[in-house]
Amino acid sequence: MDITSLFTQFLSGLTYGTILFLVAAGLSLIFGVMNILNFAHAALWLMGAYFSYTFWNLMQEHSFAFWLSIPLAGFAAAAVGWFLEVVLIKRIYKRELHEQLLITYSVALILSDTIKLTWGVTNKLIVRPEMIRKPVFIFGAPLDSYFIFVIIAGAAVAIGLWWFLKYTRYGHIVKAAVYSREMVAALGIPIPRIYTWVFTLGIFLAGFAGGIQAPIGSITLGMDNAIIIQAFCVVVIGGFGSLLGTLVGSLIVGEVMSFTILFWPEGAMVLIFVITAAILIVRPWGLFGTPMRT
Amino acid sequence: MKKLAGLTVFLCVFTMLLVPVTVKAAEPYNLGVALGLTGAGALYSADGVEGIKLAVEEINAKGGFLGQHKVELFIRDSQTKPDVGVREVKDLILRDKIKAVINDYSSAVAMAVKPIAQEYKVLHIASISNSENITKINPSPYTFQVVPNSYMQGKASAVAVAKIANQKGWKEYITIASDYEWGRSTQDEVVKVLKALAPNLTLKKEFWPRLGEAQFTSYITGIMAMKPDFVFGILASNDNVAWMEQAKTYGFFDKIPYPGSLITVTELQLQAKTLPRNMIALTRAPFFAHMDIPMMADFVKNYRAKYNKYPSDWAVLCYDAVYTLKQGVEKAKSIDTEKVKDAMKGMTVDLTRGKLTFRTIDNQLSCSSYVGTITDDPRYPFPIYKDIVEVKGSESERPESEILEARKAK
Amino acid sequence: MKNKYLFPAALFLLAVVLPFIVPEFWVHVLTEILIMGLFAASFNMIFGYMGQLTFGHAAYYGVGAYTTGLLIVKANVPLLVCLPLSMLSAGLCAAVLGYFCVKLRGIYFAILTMAFGQLVYYIIFQWYTFTGGDNGLQGIVPPAFLGKAANPYYFFTLIVVTLGMTALWIISESPFGYTMRAIRDNAERTEFIGINIQRYMHLNFIIAAMFAGLAGALWGPFNRSVAPDLCNWHHSGMPVFMTVMGGPFNFLGPLIGSAIYTMLMAFVTSFTEYWPMVSGIVIIVVVLVMPGGLLGLLSDKLPFLKQNDEGNAKETKG
Repeated sequence: MDITSLFTQFLSGLTYGTILFLVAAGLSLIFGVMNILNFAHAALWLMGAYFSYTFWNLMQEHSFAFWLSIPLAGFAAAAVGWFLEVVLIKRIYKRELHEQLLITYSVALILSDTIKLTWGVTNKLIVRPEMIRKPVFIFGAPLDSYFIFVIIAGAAVAIGLWWFLKYTRYGHIVKAAVYSREMVAALGIPIPRIYTWVFTLGIFLAGFAGGIQAPIGSITLGMDNAIIIQAFCVVVIGGFGSLLGTLVGSLIVGEVMSFTILFWPEGAMVLIFVITAAILIVRPWGLFGTPMRT
Repeated sequence: MKKLAGLTVFLCVFTMLLVPVTVKAAEPYNLGVALGLTGAGALYSADGVEGIKLAVEEINAKGGFLGQHKVELFIRDSQTKPDVGVREVKDLILRDKIKAVINDYSSAVAMAVKPIAQEYKVLHIASISNSENITKINPSPYTFQVVPNSYMQGKASAVAVAKIANQKGWKEYITIASDYEWGRSTQDEVVKVLKALAPNLTLKKEFWPRLGEAQFTSYITGIMAMKPDFVFGILASNDNVAWMEQAKTYGFFDKIPYPGSLITVTELQLQAKTLPRNMIALTRAPFFAHMDIPMMADFVKNYRAKYNKYPSDWAVLCYDAVYTLKQGVEKAKSIDTEKVKDAMKGMTVDLTRGKLTFRTIDNQLSCSSYVGTITDDPRYPFPIYKDIVEVKGSESERPESEILEARKAK
Repeated sequence: MKNKYLFPAALFLLAVVLPFIVPEFWVHVLTEILIMGLFAASFNMIFGYMGQLTFGHAAYYGVGAYTTGLLIVKANVPLLVCLPLSMLSAGLCAAVLGYFCVKLRGIYFAILTMAFGQLVYYIIFQWYTFTGGDNGLQGIVPPAFLGKAANPYYFFTLIVVTLGMTALWIISESPFGYTMRAIRDNAERTEFIGINIQRYMHLNFIIAAMFAGLAGALWGPFNRSVAPDLCNWHHSGMPVFMTVMGGPFNFLGPLIGSAIYTMLMAFVTSFTEYWPMVSGIVIIVVVLVMPGGLLGLLSDKLPFLKQNDEGNAKETKG
């Protein structure tokens, strides 16, 4: 195995890691702030992909359709997320763990069927603009040119979230809420409203990630089942509520997937769950997380 | 008293759920369909259902089977999962009282359903799933396969590929196949034939992505890094589309020949703009190969009128499945399943793909596989096969002696 | 006090009589209710009695199902021998994996059990040559003395499930069962009185897994095949829902939940393919409207359902 091949494999791990990061970032944010493990996250991600297809389809004749439909998918998913929070999720913040899991699981079931009812069972395919149909070569390693955009988008989301949490007032409130919601409430900050917006932001990220995923292959029902479980692994490995952890966790999972295919293809998912379980046993709060309040 | 009340409530709720099955005076023919409408097989299964619906409409317009038994369709989703498939078919048999079931996309599902159909004496017609193991080992007299099986397809395409490999002096190749019954049994056959016909070839590596895989990037870059002389792909439906789309964006097909893999009319239509041209590919029932047969020409015309698109292999095969059943009923002069089953044994049927015969040893229809070069054609809004080689069933079937041997070994 | 046996006895009587009245389809549904009921009851040993949520219980159910499946398909072992062996293999799995799980609590426990569940799932899924991978195993035929009709296998299941449930009942009413309740209600205090709570929890985890394995072992011959999806996390969600629906603080709650869920599914799927959506809506309504489950709701009205020690549902989060 020469250096170029290894580098190629590294790049493909990086791209898969980026996609996972985009999905897991919202999951981690929602868990960190509200302590809700959102089973419905991947269903909203898939919905984002379908939204993106619809927007692209409506504006097909315009050259910007392809690019515009991706953020629009984020906003459309965010609208669904906002509605879900206000109607349902709001009611379960203080409920028991199993009730929270069952509710978000049910939401995932309902959303999957909603997608089926809305978009049907046939695959959707977005045709890319001419400029990103061919591969580019980085040090001789081929890379799908669209993935350059994916990696930039992933980096932008990471930096944007970091800046938001570090430098904005809302970011400070959100970070404080991770540690003590009682304290934040005592300062007269309306916790329910903050929760609504954090949830909406998390789902925006899911929808945006779905929009990014859409042009990679074809969009099909059930795609969410595979990704939700990997996104959970990312969040567990990196640590709940930690942005840096999510980033590192995604890259670990992405690279493990990519390199095991060369050396031990059957073991890819087994290895990822061994890592996940090992981290949970040794350091339940993840590589970069902090022990959670209970 | 309260205890009794509790029990009564429970009993009432229970009996309310037991909806009685009413039997109608003029007996309809209940036909079950269990295909993978969601999951990895969704893409092909949706077309199959359309073909079935059209056939049933045509038959019912003439009064139904034998001109009097209206065909009633019961369509279920097997989700391309064996356990769900079994549950749905059991449901169809016990509740909807079906006499025959067309099933499934996935060979694994079809194999799980086969013993259930046999147990309840219901005809089982495999029209998309094509692992030869469905009919080769543990054969059921109730299971019929109207699609060229994995042995026939593997052989047809491997013979073509071996020829090219010998011409070009290729040495190493890689296979990438779906990790389940169909992928495994086809890969097995292809590797065996290539070994026999192109002894200079070595299999460098096997990749087994799971059924339903959507992210092929790492496989693609991994294969490209190994620089094989060619790659043989055994992927279908959703997986095939995802794989081809992603491989193309890596310039995979510019660098590595990809001959003889399954590219059906579904892919030809869906990926009309993006499919690489001049590639040699394999398919199971392309309508354009048989436009000279009146039944096919009529079917394409009616299908286009109804669905506003061209029929895929799956629409053709599933349409044929219904007509196979119709001709079986006509030969038996009865809708009694036992009689139809016996009539269908070794029967010759008139289908869109011509006059074809079921082999008595395994109820496999002796039908053709099609190898050709993907080329644009002004008559169609998508590329079709050029220089089609129709590999007849008789040229590609597994010899009966081998089947008997395999059964003995089991 | 003899009253508390009246309800189970009535249920048993009903289970004996029903298959002679209902059509064959519903006999299959009843068989499924029993198998899933035992699975859910075994889950409730961890959830209701130990106070921890496992989201990977299907792994042990699946291990049991595959043990029986493999023994029958590959070695033609009689079913009656397969059943205890399935319990054993599921128990062994739980002995290893459970050792780590019981070190954690709350959400970490839930996630680790889920991660281990997926680990088992992927091992079965990828091990094509041994487990059949995605295909599953076919040709798991019940023994000849049970014949091919629905009723004999139903009664066989009824006997096995009744024995299994009785064993679980005895365990839950034993001093061991009360120790579990003590751990659930206040782990610290229980530890102070000199009980090694981790060892107790580990043992309970193994017991629960063994009975899940027994339930799984019944599934293969019933369906003539097993598939890896039996161990997937979706399948782990089913006993959670059944238990919540029936009532986790009543021994028979999970069984009742299984009956409601399975019958609802059989009923709804007869006219719509959108069962996932219907089930999702039902789950949400149950969780929001009747947190104590059906038996929790009914036991206020019908005192004979109430069991002396478990009337009070705990409200604290954790």
